Amino acid sequence: MSILLGILEEGLIYAILALGVYITYSILDFPDLSVDSTFPLGSAVTAALLTAGVPAPAALAAAFLGGVLAGTITGLIHVKLKVVDLLSGIIVMTGLYSINLQIAGGANLAFFGSSTIFENSLTDPLWSSPVGDFTVVIISLIAVVLVKILLDAYLKTRSGYLLRAAGDNDTLVTSLAKDKGTVKIIGLALANGLVALSGSIYCQKQGFFEISTGTGSMVIGLASVIIGTKLFKRISFIKTTTAVIIGSVLYKACIAAAMAVGIFPTHYMKFLTAALFLIILVVSNRSKRKGAA
Amino acid sequence: MKKTIIAAFMITAMAAAAAGCGGSGGSSQKTAPAENGSGTASQNSGEASEAPASSGEDSYTIGIGQYAVHGSLDNCREGFLQGLAEEGIEEGKNLTVLYENANGDGSTGTQIISNFLSQDVDMVCAIATPMAQTAYGATKRTDVPVIYTAVTDPVIAQLATEDKMPVGNITGTSDKLPVEEQLQMIRQILPDAKTIGIMYSTGEVNSQSTLEEYKEAAPEYGFEIVESGVSGAADIPLAADNLLSQVDCLNNLTDNTVVSSLPIILDKSEDKGIPVFGSEIEQVRIGCLASMGLDYIELGKQTGHMAAQVLKGEKEASEMPYEIIEEASFYGNSAVAESLGITLPEELTGSAAQMFDSIGESNS
Repeated sequence: MSILLGILEEGLIYAILALGVYITYSILDFPDLSVDSTFPLGSAVTAALLTAGVPAPAALAAAFLGGVLAGTITGLIHVKLKVVDLLSGIIVMTGLYSINLQIAGGANLAFFGSSTIFENSLTDPLWSSPVGDFTVVIISLIAVVLVKILLDAYLKTRSGYLLRAAGDNDTLVTSLAKDKGTVKIIGLALANGLVALSGSIYCQKQGFFEISTGTGSMVIGLASVIIGTKLFKRISFIKTTTAVIIGSVLYKACIAAAMAVGIFPTHYMKFLTAALFLIILVVSNRSKRKGAA
Repeated sequence: MKKTIIAAFMITAMAAAAAGCGGSGGSSQKTAPAENGSGTASQNSGEASEAPASSGEDSYTIGIGQYAVHGSLDNCREGFLQGLAEEGIEEGKNLTVLYENANGDGSTGTQIISNFLSQDVDMVCAIATPMAQTAYGATKRTDVPVIYTAVTDPVIAQLATEDKMPVGNITGTSDKLPVEEQLQMIRQILPDAKTIGIMYSTGEVNSQSTLEEYKEAAPEYGFEIVESGVSGAADIPLAADNLLSQVDCLNNLTDNTVVSSLPIILDKSEDKGIPVFGSEIEQVRIGCLASMGLDYIELGKQTGHMAAQVLKGEKEASEMPYEIIEEASFYGNSAVAESLGITLPEELTGSAAQMFDSIGESNS
């Protein structure tokens, strides 16, 4: 039971990160590595603000804005300074490491005593109710669904259409007399905002900030996006955003299963991730070819 | 385009995996008894189910989550099991041990703890600060007690209040370094030295707080501290060159990144004839001149005793203040002293907890 809870908690919180990665990777076709640092950026901002006594919802908003700013910088480096996409992300990822340490005042900052979105006077009755064990899952689910609805709505706006066009066919954007660079920057800003939001929620669940939590965020997000989009490609009534969220939970389930079975020592986790990745890609490519033939 | 992107990520992930495997592979000989955690655990549970029946005692399951592969942390774990055994709780008899190592990755740490909880462990033993915090966060709403060790400052980590009392159902031991004793020892060995170089990684919170302590205490012993922060193992060779050109000796903290790269630092300092002081026994064994350090096995044992009290129901973790090792012991390496042309003062060697007469192989 508790293993299932763990999977849902982690999967739902990381789903918001996955939605961010979905924007850059699937919609914009931009491999954004800055994610590895914007996730802990969200955590660092949250930890610093909660320690200073700022209410949790304000910390969430600040973390989101921090991510938006970082994403904008990645976009500006790429669009205005004409640096290759992969490198723009790497530059921001590297630089943010120091900024994160600066914001949190060190590599680790605990705030177990502060009230968070999970632990506050409003959620207390929930914790003591019969479904108390599900508190984190319930709150995370609400957060994920809200983000999903807002993102779906955004993608239907004019700006959202342009964003999708920029990834598929950027001459279309230009022919509509819009600057495709600006569209890319908006996409990166939104994506990294979501990633930082995910980092904020994650660290509120943990009760502390730790600089090392960002390592591998990109891979987690990407794996979730690929699992979700490839598995549910043919099921038309499931929206891609929903598929990504399910992908994130499935990814965490795979990792938890590998760990629980205990065949592999924990230091093989990253290797398993890579293998899982490869299998899904190969399988989905095969079925595509078959379909074409 | 998309395919090349995916290929790039695959390579990154593979490289990370390879680095992870390499790092812990080296240490596997040393930690052989407990290394293959789940393997031995399942064997043990088989035995455990038979043994208690005859003795009529309770049997326990403990999940040990260790943050990184590191000589000191491995010793903590070994000592922890020894301490439990001294209290009659022995692995293979009435104790099942689940052991996992997060290899320095925070999100793996979270999964390790939730995996333990899903297997209904009687206790979580968390080794090093981030693991202890993760364990505390995850068990807050459960009745599973957490015992930690190798947490340098439980108060800053918010695991205990100023009066050493726990913030919840969590207690353990701190590996706060005996800074004053170390400085005094360096003064005794190097009467003319003026500057001490300290390398630390900016990503480790324990190192920063210990460094502050050194900077505060150094003037009292007539030293000046020259610090050099690194952001990863790749920075260490350059940082070492830079630091060695400015100081009379180097002093190590228990910094995971720096200690893992100790052989490189020792190699460079040997070329320059500059002594390196360690922070614990393992470092002296592999080539540091001397250390007024903690015995991590002892620290682990002390933690094991505390854990036994909680398991047997004699005390609640929530009512036990965290403990520290009061006494620092001297460790010296006479082979290193000889090659540097330094004589270790007899007042130190006379009371040494252990002297090494050769330079051991690094195994972390």
